[in-house]
Formats: sequence, C-alpha cells, structure tokens
Amino acid sequence: MNALAGRLILIAGVIVVGAIIAITRRSWAPALGHAFPSIWRIAKITVSEARRRRVIQAVIILVVLLLASMTFFSYLSPQEQARMLISGGLAAIVVFGILLAIFIAAFMIPSEIENRTIYAILSKPVRRFEFVLGKYVGAMIVLGVIVGIMTVVLVGVLVLQDHLVQDLPDSVFNPNLGPVVLAAVLSYFALAVLTALIVLISTVASTTMTVISAFIIWALGSLQETIHDLATNATGAARLLLLVIYNVVPKLENFDIRHEVSNFMSISIASVWQAVLHGILYIIVVLALASVFFSDRQV
Amino acid sequence: MRKSRGKYWIWLFLAIGILMMTVPLQESIHKLRPATFGPKREGGWESAMRIGPTPAVIAALGGFRTVAADLLWLRAERAWDGGSWWAIVPLLDTVTQLDPHFILAWKVYGWHCAYNLNVESETLVDKRYWLQRGLNVLEKAVEANPDRWEMYFELGWTYYDRAHEPYRASEWFYKADQFPDAPSYVTRFYYRPFERIMDFDALFPRMEYAKKKHLDDPQHQYLVKRDIEWWTTHKDDPQEHRRQIVTENTARKQRALPFYLYPNDPYWDVCPVCGIPSPKGSETCQYCGAPLHPRSGSAAASPGRTN
Repeated sequence: MNALAGRLILIAGVIVVGAIIAITRRSWAPALGHAFPSIWRIAKITVSEARRRRVIQAVIILVVLLLASMTFFSYLSPQEQARMLISGGLAAIVVFGILLAIFIAAFMIPSEIENRTIYAILSKPVRRFEFVLGKYVGAMIVLGVIVGIMTVVLVGVLVLQDHLVQDLPDSVFNPNLGPVVLAAVLSYFALAVLTALIVLISTVASTTMTVISAFIIWALGSLQETIHDLATNATGAARLLLLVIYNVVPKLENFDIRHEVSNFMSISIASVWQAVLHGILYIIVVLALASVFFSDRQV
Repeated sequence: MRKSRGKYWIWLFLAIGILMMTVPLQESIHKLRPATFGPKREGGWESAMRIGPTPAVIAALGGFRTVAADLLWLRAERAWDGGSWWAIVPLLDTVTQLDPHFILAWKVYGWHCAYNLNVESETLVDKRYWLQRGLNVLEKAVEANPDRWEMYFELGWTYYDRAHEPYRASEWFYKADQFPDAPSYVTRFYYRPFERIMDFDALFPRMEYAKKKHLDDPQHQYLVKRDIEWWTTHKDDPQEHRRQIVTENTARKQRALPFYLYPNDPYWDVCPVCGIPSPKGSETCQYCGAPLHPRSGSAAASPGRTN
C-alpha cells in the first residue's frame, strides 16, 4: 500500500468514526456521567476478587524466584550474561503475563453467570456495558500490578548483576534498563489487547471455549508477520482471505521488542507509539463489540 | 427489532471504520520494525544437507526465537567445553537463523569455521572448505547486520589474518571505518594489509587517510606517525623485505594457502615451490633448491605442492 492510499484510508476511517460518534451522541452522552463511577466500582470488586486467588500469588512468587535464579549464569561472559538475563526475563514476563491474563479474564464473566452473582450486580443501576468495561479495567489493574512486580524484580536483578559482574575489555555487562522497561510496558499493552479479546469471547462462550480461543488468538497474534508474508505471496481469493485475517487478528508482535532489546539494537520510537495507537483502537473496537454482545445475552 | 438491528449496523460500521484506520498504521509499523528472519540461506544441495530449523519452525517460535537461540547457545557452550568442535556447527547455524542479530554468535560461528575447523581438517580440500565457509558465514552476518561495524571488521579481519587476501580485507576495513562508532584501530587496519605485501602504492595513501582521522586521539596519531616513519625509512631495506616475505609466506604455508608472489620486489625472488625468497638473480632457491625461473609457464604451485 502506498503512502497516499494509507493516508486516504486513515482520513476515511476518521470521518466514518467521527460521523457515527456525532450521530449517536444523544444515546451515549448522558450515560457517560453515570458510567465512570459504576465502571470503577466493578473494577474494584474485580481487583479484590483477584487478590483472594492463591494461584495468582503463587505464580507471582514463582516468577520472582525464576528471575532471581537467572543470576546463576555466572560462567558466561558479561555480554552473554546480560543478553540471557534480558531475553529470559522478558520472556518470563510475557509467558506468565499471558497465562495470568487468560486465567483472570476467561473466568471473570462466565463465573459470574455460572455462580449467579451477576443477578445481584445487574439488579443495581449498572448497565451491561459498564459491567463489561468494569471487569476489563479491573483485570488490567491486576495485570498491571503483576507486570509491574515482575519488571521491578527483573530491573533489580539486572542492576545487581551490573554491580557484581566484572566487565572485560571486549565484553561489557550492559543492563539496558530503559529499553527493558519499555519492552515490559509494551508487553502490558499486548496483554491489554489479548484481555480485551478474551472478554469479548467470554461474553458469548463458555469458560472452556474462552480459554481454548485465547490460546489460539495468542498463537495467531504472534504469527502476524508469517500471515503477512503468506498474504504477500498468495494470489486471488487466498490473498484476499489472508489479508482479511491479517487485518482482523490482534497484532501482538507489534508490542514485542524483546528481540531488539536483547540484542542491544536501537528501537524505532515511531513504531512504538504507532503500535500503542493501533492497540488502543483495536481495544476500543473489541470492547465495543463485547458490550453489544453482552447487552443482548440472556443471563 | 428494527431498533436492535440498527444498533448492530452502527456498531459494525464503527468497528469497520476503526479497523480501517489501523491498516495504514500497521503498514507503517511493518516497515519500521527490523526483519527478524535470517538472511537468505544457501540454495541447492547445501540447503538440502543443512541441519537446522525450517522457516515454519522459526515462525512457530514467534517472539520466543531469542530465548530458543539462547538455550541453543548454552548447548553450544557445553559442546565447546566438552571438545565437540564439529557438533557446534549445526548449533551455531541454528542460533544465527533463530536470531540473526546475535552478533557474538555470528562472530564465534565465523571464527570457529575459519580458524578451528580449518586447523582440525586433515586434507587441503577440507581446510579450504572451512576457511571459505567461515568467510561465507561472516558475509551473511554483514547482510543480516548492515548497521554494525563489528561484522564488517570481523569479515575484514578474517580476510586479512586467515585468508591472506589483503585487498578484500582492506575494502571491508574501510567499510567498517565509515561507521561513526568504529574505534580508531579499525582505521589503522585500513592500511595494515598492505604492510604485509609491501604494496607501497596502496600503503602510503591509506596511511595518510588514517592520519587525518581521529585527530583527538593521541594514541592513534602516535601509532600512525610511527608507521609512516617506519615505512618511509625501511621501504628500500632488503632485510625488511625478506622478513615480510618470509613471515607472510610461512603463515600462508601453515594455512594451506598459495604463497604470495611479490612480483615487483626489487631484492628477492620468491621460490614458486616453497615460497621462501632468495636474492635477486639466483638461479635456484637457497632453501629448497628448486629453479626460481621455470620455463614452462606460470609456476604457481598447485595446492598440494605448497604443503
């Protein structure tokens, strides 16, 4: 796609979205004032529910121990140690973050329906979209705390190693702290996209189906470059189908800068903010659809 | 019912509108991110024989390619410690495919082929194969990391120190020197290859080039000035010529490379058989007794004769 076509599509998209928002303003504008307190209350309940789950606490302790144990690569050269710590630590954050995101988000809404606790909530002046958004915000707060703890531990391990490891003339321990924190923040955005999709699926599917779908989405989202390559080389209907899939699946690879950080490469800041913007737009679409589907669901 | 359907249409249009906005964004992100797949690999029989992950396996690993490369790197370290030098090759090949930006892995892979396996090989054909493979590996490393001076320098160094190809080595050192973060020794290596073969027409202009760089580095300025003075004094010194020719050709002999002829040397004739110089005008080599000026065409020794 050339630059002009890209700009035209971006402008067309802005016009379409702007027009729809303007046309429907009478239906959503009065509800906004009421929505935020309700969303926040449900988010707080979600956080307090998550705090009571022992599995989450156990996983956090496991990750902290795993990251701390990575200091035992002392037989490697300083440069290799830094690389191993960074790539291994960031991989641990992503893997456990995704597992916890699936564990937290897939059970939130279905368990409320199965335990019938949702009746108590929906009998209050809470709209269904407020319930969905509240659950999502609560899950993101919990995941934010978890990713934050893991990032702090990883940064601590890197700083400690930086003091302990003796640099050699041609092999220096580079903790690369700024990019490491940026990679962790972007991993959190990837979790935000994945969690939004899990919430969308959980509004229409059972818990088991949601968990299976979440793993499939994770795999598809991590293969976006492969799908892009396949679409580039395909022709006719196959190309069209692959392009549709490519543009619909979440772009989790956009948030994955672990490769650049582990190899101490420069990171394109433009690609970072564009990935964040892309992610936010995607989350808006997914949560809007989740709210619509949940509004029509019989509970 | 109509109202409900209308609501769905509005949400559908909204979703499509926002997704449309993400398409050019994604195109832009795609262009900005570095390619994570390795450079093009060998085709034909070599790729059929190659042991390593298929593109599908690499793709399936997704963002965990770096971690997979790290784990295989640790395995390669264990193989190294255990003395399994030949087993390291497929491991390093896989590591560099999984993570083409792993500079240390490329360096070790190229060095291991061009140095260790070249020495370990028993036949001349094998020795040359491993030297060439080391050079090929480093050329791929440059292709995969065109923005890292270390890869250009590593390739230049292998041409200089191992393959004894001074002109190619100098070209790669020059390319490495164009990077602003390249250290001053890279600049000095731009002229070093021509000291070995005493190509003074190439050496002096390059030394002048080096003198004009790194003006705020006194160590560099001292070393370049020392080299210029040395070669200005010794460029016509017969003993220095002999020393350089013997050193270079002894190294070539050890590495199973053709000897260097020094066609314009004013003091010595190089033996086409053993590569050791004898005083100009001698009929036979003072070292091995072979005729210095054979009548039957070029006396460039076959690879077998140099060893």
